[in-house]
Amino acid sequence: MPRLALSKSTKNMVTHKEIASSLLFILFGVGYLAYNRNYPIDTWNNPGPGVFPLIVGGMLILLAAGQLMQTLRKHRDRDDRKSAGFRFKSAKTFLRESGKIKPVILVGVFVIYLLIVKGVGFFISNFIFVVISSRLMGARDWVRPSALALGICLFCYLLFEVWLKLSLPRGLLF
Amino acid sequence: MDASILSSLLISLQPLNVLACFVGAVIGTLVGILPGLGPAAAMALVLPLTLQLGPTAGLIMLAGIYYGSMYGGSTTSILVNVPGEPASDVTTLDGYAMARKGRAGAALAVAAIGSFVAGTFSVIALQLFAPLLARSALAFGPAEYFALTALGIVLLSNLTGKSRIKSLIMIMIGLMLSTVGMDPVGGVDRFSFGIDSAQGGVSFIAITAGLFGVAEVLSLLAKEEKEVDLTPVRFRELYPNRQELLRSMAPMARGSLLGFLIGLLPGPAATIASFTSYGLERRISKHKEEFGRGAIEGVAGPESANNAAAGGAMIPLLSLGLPFTPTTAVLLGGMLLHGITPGPFLMRDRPDVFWGVIGSFYLGNAMLLILNLPLVGIFAKIVRIAPKYLMPTVLVLCVIGAYGDNNNFFDVWVMLGAGVAGYLMRKYDYEPAPLVIGLVLGTIMERSLRQTWIISRGEISGLWESSISAIILMLTLAAAIGPSLWRYFKAKLGL
Repeated sequence: MPRLALSKSTKNMVTHKEIASSLLFILFGVGYLAYNRNYPIDTWNNPGPGVFPLIVGGMLILLAAGQLMQTLRKHRDRDDRKSAGFRFKSAKTFLRESGKIKPVILVGVFVIYLLIVKGVGFFISNFIFVVISSRLMGARDWVRPSALALGICLFCYLLFEVWLKLSLPRGLLF
Repeated sequence: MDASILSSLLISLQPLNVLACFVGAVIGTLVGILPGLGPAAAMALVLPLTLQLGPTAGLIMLAGIYYGSMYGGSTTSILVNVPGEPASDVTTLDGYAMARKGRAGAALAVAAIGSFVAGTFSVIALQLFAPLLARSALAFGPAEYFALTALGIVLLSNLTGKSRIKSLIMIMIGLMLSTVGMDPVGGVDRFSFGIDSAQGGVSFIAITAGLFGVAEVLSLLAKEEKEVDLTPVRFRELYPNRQELLRSMAPMARGSLLGFLIGLLPGPAATIASFTSYGLERRISKHKEEFGRGAIEGVAGPESANNAAAGGAMIPLLSLGLPFTPTTAVLLGGMLLHGITPGPFLMRDRPDVFWGVIGSFYLGNAMLLILNLPLVGIFAKIVRIAPKYLMPTVLVLCVIGAYGDNNNFFDVWVMLGAGVAGYLMRKYDYEPAPLVIGLVLGTIMERSLRQTWIISRGEISGLWESSISAIILMLTLAAAIGPSLWRYFKAKLGL
């Protein structure tokens, strides 16, 4: 019995994912087509810049709607709506239970890194970013991540700045 | 010896090209060994670096990563039962069984020799067939190109072997992204929302680095995989005995031919080729009972097949400009960034690039054999690098790759966005590869469609007026509805 329940809940999870993603793509397609109205379609003789986006946006909506219908039909066929057992959890519980908190933190660290990189400079912000991301990925001490960060910064400096002459942003310190 | 073969070898033997080939082969081998980081991601990360090398050396390095990864992929399959890339999945069955019997070295050596034989075979075939295909493709105008891209999209919608409708959705998103920036016919700025950096279009490097690199790191972080233990390979175990070599020869030949032919078709050719070869070898083998318990044929056939498929997949790319696999899609992106348009005119306009890249395949295969046979034990130790040290390095390379493309941080934001999107796509079972293909094909498709309408003065029939485009469009239609019709009749007639 527990096995069956697990399988049902997994199926429901898949169904909810399919429905949510299909709706998101329909919404995206509608927004894209609405914005595409800014560009002329012109004539068949001389098609304008709005033609190709119109075709592609329309196709996306059709495909996403097709997927939505397909999913709903499968869901109905299974006839397990009543036993769906889908409960909304708080965002915090959801993230903790499914091990998704770390990617969210990393994205947060990434955003902060991108916000400070122009002011602080590439090498300093990069050093901090590597140390934090390495710790986030399971490094238990500070020494090895710091050595790694230093090594990466040195490698980037020699390869990209000295050899390839790529101008990486300099900040207050370096 | 044919003059073209000689000239290609001479171009590839220039010092910078030899170095690029060596670096590409080493990176490719490492990428193949490391589980998780695939060749497409590695090529996307190295793309900005190749821009500094010029088109010939840059593309030689990218191609080196591509076929190097096919070599390296077998190492972890055999030693730790963890395939470095999907094309080596099937090698785990007999390769790992051989390793447990103390024949890891023999399995690794046979895999390397098989890869060399197949790689060389596919280059010779590539050299013979690509010019023929390219010559016939010279008759192609905008209508034919549009038909070809439409066929490519329909065929590639089955790229991943998963849901077709999801692949098509991803292709559409890729096509939509290709519309950002100046339109390819009239030069009108579209979907840039007033951001100057977006007017040149969405950075291909930023998108691929995000979808493959950043998304991989985020997925790995969510999974928290355990570190793997390696079976040490002793020197005396490194070489196969006479009987093992004799038993491997025919599977290598069959795998080479089979892999090359499958490589010409759209889809995950290398993976399909390796599984097909394994099935074939098991069916015709005199030692059926050994399969799954360490049959050398189960390593020699599939490892040859996946390498030959990598060579075969280069034919549609170089002669038609159409990528049939995610990795060749990244290679196409690289070519476009270098100002090279692959297709029928490549051989005429840039023979140095065309023959230089082909010539480097010979060199690369020889280098890989030399690298893989004696250094396999050392390469295998790379797997021990923990993700906590490897992944921050990948992230920094992604940042520099995206930034270096246009020297602006807008592209790095795009990369982060693509990374988050790529992570969510994996969670929701959407593959990123079709999106990349849509992004690459979008501009070609839009330009050829609009040019066709302009030439035919607005007549929609202009799309199928020429016999070539009509045939290709009929094939497209057949490919689109054929499988559904087949399933319908199969169910109806109880076949």
